[in-house]
Amino acid sequence: MREPQPASVAAGLIAGIARGDRAAFERFYDAYSPLAFGLIRRILRDPEAAKEVLQEVFWQVWQEAGAYDPSRGSGEAWLVMRARTRAIDKLRSIRRREQTFVAPADERVAAAPETRRDDPALAAEDRGLAESALGQLSGPQRQAIELAFLEGLTQTEIAARLGEPLGTVKTRIRLGLERLRAAFKVDNA
Amino acid sequence: MRGDELHELAAGYALGTLEGEDLARFEARLRGGDAEARRAVRQFEETLARVAAEGAEPPPPGVKAALMARVAAASPARQSDGARVVPLAGRPRRSVWTTVLAGAMAAGIAAIAVGLGISTRYERRLETLGQEAATLKAELERQAAVLAILRDPATQVVALNGLEPSPTARARMLWHEQAGGLLVAAGLPPAPAGKAYQLWAIAGKNAPVPAGVFKVDPGGTGSLRVAPLAGVGRVDVFAVTLEPEAGVPAPTGPMYLAGKSA
Repeated sequence: MREPQPASVAAGLIAGIARGDRAAFERFYDAYSPLAFGLIRRILRDPEAAKEVLQEVFWQVWQEAGAYDPSRGSGEAWLVMRARTRAIDKLRSIRRREQTFVAPADERVAAAPETRRDDPALAAEDRGLAESALGQLSGPQRQAIELAFLEGLTQTEIAARLGEPLGTVKTRIRLGLERLRAAFKVDNA
Repeated sequence: MRGDELHELAAGYALGTLEGEDLARFEARLRGGDAEARRAVRQFEETLARVAAEGAEPPPPGVKAALMARVAAASPARQSDGARVVPLAGRPRRSVWTTVLAGAMAAGIAAIAVGLGISTRYERRLETLGQEAATLKAELERQAAVLAILRDPATQVVALNGLEPSPTARARMLWHEQAGGLLVAAGLPPAPAGKAYQLWAIAGKNAPVPAGVFKVDPGGTGSLRVAPLAGVGRVDVFAVTLEPEAGVPAPTGPMYLAGKSA
């Protein structure tokens, strides 16, 4: 795991970027691109798509650093939320495209191995998460959080996918995140 | 609102999975400056940032150089640390108005650059979405046209049988005077290079009317969607000949399939 940097480092660099400081941007990229890229890669399996999104995310950072408000959260969280949003947008557009062009070839769709992703143990292992905090959650909690955070499903879609009532899914996500919050000792952040 | 419910909404919000009324309600709370809601979101977002940090991965080479070049190219007016603007007082004999004007122009150029960047991004996205919508629409229209032909009792169904060059070939022609038709053929040998199969519609004693060319896959199967044919109503005979790839106005090659309507 990466040594966590003091919260003020990221925030300070973002403030520099907002002033148009290219050196600050470069330092910010060097320090935090692995954080963004790791997440993007977990969302998008395609390395080319992941690379493209990484570049878009940091381009956005350069353009929109002025919108960052340190009172709303750390610079890392700000970056992670942006990376996640862009990667999920990309994932959805890839899925839409696949549906448009592949759907007519019924047999190919039927043959697509979707079952593998539904197995939470395999999915977590595949993403290298077995040893992580996420990997320590109960299977159903981790699965619900993964489907939301890494697959971009809405709560209703998660409920449909898992065949569980919506209320159960909401509770699972809350309990899972609360457990993670405690594990990482994120208090009064 | 119960504390559990607040945290449920905050967790969903941080994960980007909240929707509909829940989302609207919670966003209104955040906008209203609800400190408890904001704190809950902040904590969950920090938590997710830690989750992400556990999977940190070095980015591929090349991205940084591309970004730095883009930054340098797109915003030449922006300065890095080493080249700070000299304070106004330290400048030798320069009109205040020139400085104000230059400042205003720089601000304008920066605003235009940012605006262009944003609009280019959205234009690209809109274009992609537009293309996807057009593809879907075309596919839907094709399927709707085939369905309309299938549903209509006025649709003729004609079986075509293989002739001398390929006696085992078979085809079905669905034909509707106003909607056009669909030919599905099987068992045809792949057409030689430069050649293709051509469909003909023959009404009574009239000359055959060309109805389109098609090729078959290596398995010998092919299909052809036929648009309504001008001046052709009820068709008595459908036939398929082997012709030059581009098609010809009147049949010249050997006939592979033919069928008479009942």
